[in-house]
Amino acid sequence: MLQSSVIEEIKRIVGKEHVYTSLEERICYGYDSTPEAFFPDLVVRPATTEEIQKIVKLANHHLFPIIPRGAGTGLSGGSVPVKGGVVLDLTRMNKILEIDEENLVAVVEPGVITYELQQEVEKRGLFYPPDPASLKTSTIGGNVAECAGGPRAFKYGVTRDYVLGLEVVTPTGELLKVGGKTVKSVTGYDLIRLYTGSEGTLGIITKIILRLLPKPEAKKTLMAVYPSLDDAAHTVTMIIKKGIIPATLELMDDLTIRCVENYLHMGLPLDAEAILIMEVDGPAELVEKQAVQVAELCRENGAREVKIAADEKDRDEIWRARRAVSAAVVQIKPTKISEDIAVPRSQIPKMVRRLKEIAARYDLNLVIFGHAGDGNLHPNILCDQNDAEEMERVRKAIAELFKAAVELGGTLTGEHGIGTMKAPYLKYETGDVGYQVMKAIKKALDPNNILNPGKIFLE
Amino acid sequence: MIKVETVKTYLDRCSKCGGCQAVCPLYGETMAEPLVARGKLFLIKNHIEGKLELSPKMKELMSLCLLCKACMENCPNKIPVDQLVLWARQKIAQEKGISFVKKNIFQHLLKNNGRLTIAARLGYFYQHSGLQWLVRKSRLLELFGDLAKKESLLPEMAKVPFRNQVPRLLPVSRPQKRVAYFTGCLTNFVFPDIGYAVINVLRNNGVEVVIPEQWCCGIPALASGDEETAVDLARKNVKVFQRENVDAIITDCASCGSTLKEYAELLETPEARSFAEKVLDFSQLLADVVGFQPGEEELSGLVVTYHDPCHLRRGMGISEAPRSLIKAVPGVTFKEMKESDRCCGAAGSFNLTYYELAVSIGRRKAKNVQDTGANVLLTACPSCIMQLRHVLQLEGSDVQVLHLAQLLDKTYSNAEKKS
Repeated sequence: MLQSSVIEEIKRIVGKEHVYTSLEERICYGYDSTPEAFFPDLVVRPATTEEIQKIVKLANHHLFPIIPRGAGTGLSGGSVPVKGGVVLDLTRMNKILEIDEENLVAVVEPGVITYELQQEVEKRGLFYPPDPASLKTSTIGGNVAECAGGPRAFKYGVTRDYVLGLEVVTPTGELLKVGGKTVKSVTGYDLIRLYTGSEGTLGIITKIILRLLPKPEAKKTLMAVYPSLDDAAHTVTMIIKKGIIPATLELMDDLTIRCVENYLHMGLPLDAEAILIMEVDGPAELVEKQAVQVAELCRENGAREVKIAADEKDRDEIWRARRAVSAAVVQIKPTKISEDIAVPRSQIPKMVRRLKEIAARYDLNLVIFGHAGDGNLHPNILCDQNDAEEMERVRKAIAELFKAAVELGGTLTGEHGIGTMKAPYLKYETGDVGYQVMKAIKKALDPNNILNPGKIFLE
Repeated sequence: MIKVETVKTYLDRCSKCGGCQAVCPLYGETMAEPLVARGKLFLIKNHIEGKLELSPKMKELMSLCLLCKACMENCPNKIPVDQLVLWARQKIAQEKGISFVKKNIFQHLLKNNGRLTIAARLGYFYQHSGLQWLVRKSRLLELFGDLAKKESLLPEMAKVPFRNQVPRLLPVSRPQKRVAYFTGCLTNFVFPDIGYAVINVLRNNGVEVVIPEQWCCGIPALASGDEETAVDLARKNVKVFQRENVDAIITDCASCGSTLKEYAELLETPEARSFAEKVLDFSQLLADVVGFQPGEEELSGLVVTYHDPCHLRRGMGISEAPRSLIKAVPGVTFKEMKESDRCCGAAGSFNLTYYELAVSIGRRKAKNVQDTGANVLLTACPSCIMQLRHVLQLEGSDVQVLHLAQLLDKTYSNAEKKS
């Protein structure tokens, strides 16, 4: 518990209306989009970097944890206050400070909502590609802290590929500025990459310089239905071999298709093993040509049915299936454990089979969808968190699916982060040495273990 | 009141994805997690699990909801958030009681038309006797925080309530339909002009109108957790309207309309069900049943935009009918505004309780209205009209705010010239 004198001091720093002390308000800052929930001692909503520095210094003096938080839509438990302490809600710092059209960069505060930034830059003919599913609510600060990805990652990369500079309050309350508006910079260690994806454990990001692209002129959406999953996976390889890099290549497995069809009744084939939803973008002429090429490739490689969206309405209809996945699958059971392993693209069919074996062994409902272009799969286990026995089976299945991913040359998490949910499995991938190096970095930068304790590493 | 088991199943469906943040008007202004649906559902869940008391803070947080249903529409799991918030409010009302003022209004005014009329007349007297002038001049209300601002929200009361001005039956020769008109309290006590416009448009389209004696629809009581009063009012209304041999029961108020529709679940009687089935919004009757015919009058120079009342669009599922009527009026240019279905911030008496918050929500709406370049803003709910006029005035805008019926009425040579 925090001493009341400390609470008073924090109120003086940020203003008392920006500090939540009541039980009811604090409890609303103890969760994210996972089933995890804890209880912060205090919620503080600062408006400036200076306020944050003062609070961090206070924390080092009185030794209380600080948990930085954006919109709280993470999927790894990254922003939940495992050890209590102060939740630092950064949503009030939500200004787009600059959109520099000449240098193609945007300078933003951490609380800016991803979608709002995208809307603003697109008005100017520019493009910020990272598109996590939560983009209408998630914040850029959260995206950077977790290194969020999205369907467009195969062609356009993930958040880290767009961060050019950062302003960070260090765990001891100093102000660190790294990078700037240049695309190239090799001055010393690459701290930007260190901080991007650091999950709030190494610093509090207070300003972000992002790289922008010119907005692609056109896009075209396709959907292909496959009787065989292997054929779908093979098609992806063939498309890339042809020199076409689709902006998105979304895969849905048989169970996912059935759930969506039961939910929407939109005429999806119940006997299909896979559906691919693909989007090509770029100059209008090229896009038209590529869409036709992709459709041909799909047919040549075993697709039973291929649709090219003729207009915006068709496009929406195709995406409706993908967008409905989350809602459709929870019709099976209410609790959804969403994982995000990634494997080398060629291993997708093998990984899918391994996942299905694991689900069968533990008698669990498992649906798989994800990003076929970059090998990032989202196996989702549908269960009931009130059923302790089932949750135990879920835990065992998850441990196995992580092992399988690593064995196939993959990773525990493509875009959600380790947080609390995957902390027990970290060493599967990093090994002892990797683990020790990461811990050493944390220890060196945050000697008092102030920032987001209980994350990434099991303590 | 829904059962606690039902509440629990709904709560289990919340995956805490936070998608509600994108559309919640309160979250949009405050970015405060306890105000968004995800936060509220989590609070209710913790209460049911015995971890949270129904404290004053809990009561405050539950009262901070516009019941605009935007979150429900956007929710991947379609959780009926408004029902859950109302469940909590009702539980709080039962266990902790409701405020003295509200209790008296609900139980002594709403249930008694005579007293309600007297109260409205007192309001008229306050506004016209010079008392309001004196109070405003003296700046007396400024002593009570933002009471002065809230007072400025009070609409001007009608000298005589609408239902006392018009006959019970308004016949037409060879009627194609016969309807009973549920006027709602605002049309009755504040906006008789809207009532006259509704009647005139209907009669010009061959619809005979009967206006039975009636009571408040009950939404103010329901929204505050006083289901008992709401049930009482519903019973009275059903009983009276049941006696009328009519094709439909129509409303000019989205909030009344959606509440009347809910009588079926509230009373769970066959009579209430058949009553609820007959309820139509004014626009729905005209567009979908009667086939609206505009009059001969030329309207020119009108650039019109339309605000979707939450209770019409999401409550009753009506968004096309008003637009098709507007487009059917010759000489009118229709311009769609951005976020036309985002709550204006009125939300019943929310704007009285949380004035500053309601105004900041309303200003966003006012800006969207102004961006269209329209000179007339139409909507289909008197409660929205009050709020929209107030915020547009604060923005220094001269956009005229009218009920849809008032625009349609302008096309007839016998239009109601009272306004």
